[in-house]
Amino acid sequence: MKQSVRQMITCHWSARRIQRYLDADPSAPLTPGEVAKIEAHLAMCEKCTQTAEEHRALHRALSRWPGAPAPDPSSVERLRAFVGNLPDEETP
Amino acid sequence: MNEGHNDVESARALVFREQVEPEIEVMLRVAMSLTRNRADAEDLVQESLLRAYRALDRFDGRHPRAWLLTIVRHTNLNMQRRTRPDPVGDWDLVRDSRPAFGASTQPSAEDAHLDGVLSEQLSTALAELDVRFRTAVILVDVHDLSYAEAAAVMGVPVGTVMSRLSRGRDRLRRRLGPQTLTPGRFA
Repeated sequence: MKQSVRQMITCHWSARRIQRYLDADPSAPLTPGEVAKIEAHLAMCEKCTQTAEEHRALHRALSRWPGAPAPDPSSVERLRAFVGNLPDEETP
Repeated sequence: MNEGHNDVESARALVFREQVEPEIEVMLRVAMSLTRNRADAEDLVQESLLRAYRALDRFDGRHPRAWLLTIVRHTNLNMQRRTRPDPVGDWDLVRDSRPAFGASTQPSAEDAHLDGVLSEQLSTALAELDVRFRTAVILVDVHDLSYAEAAAVMGVPVGTVMSRLSRGRDRLRRRLGPQTLTPGRFA
């Protein structure tokens, strides 16, 4: 009983940090201690491992989502040329 | 214009090119989400680049992407005010966006599942999300921006981006479900 309550508390603690753990964004890093605690928890908790896998799959799917078409290469080239011609382009 | 002035301007333009050129593609991607139109996106980025060049002396040289995306956001708002009598928020424009299927590169074989059935379900689930949550998800997961860069585009603190991102992702994950997201684990 004591074991399962402790696990539930750790699941709750991990759930609140799992996205920051997976993103590893420089604006909101976890401490090395927090990373070690999450990894230790994921190693033994099937439910939180499943949640982490779903987050990874969701991120992969979103990174390839075709609703955000790639920029037109000719636009990129024109804008590079525009930047290359500064400061002349700035003159009205 | 004397020779000394020309040298200073040339050096300034060189610094600007080095800072900005690597960011042109991401500026265009974000601009396309804002304008939903390739020509308007290019105009928005060009105007933003010009404003950035004029403001270069006030830029501290740190985080050029976040700096440029902030300028894209402000420029977009100004351009909207110029063309619309009742300005709308940047991301109100994203609300009605629908996917342009087939617009991106072909997936690899192992990604066929995710890019087939899932991308359609994902589009539906994204369309159902509150625009604030969808904006955070699109900027970070689709456009691969950092929390700070997304905050610059949205004009909100980093903590707000994190909160909206977390809620948006959790809603998408629950909406799609484990059978769709991780079918291999249920084989």
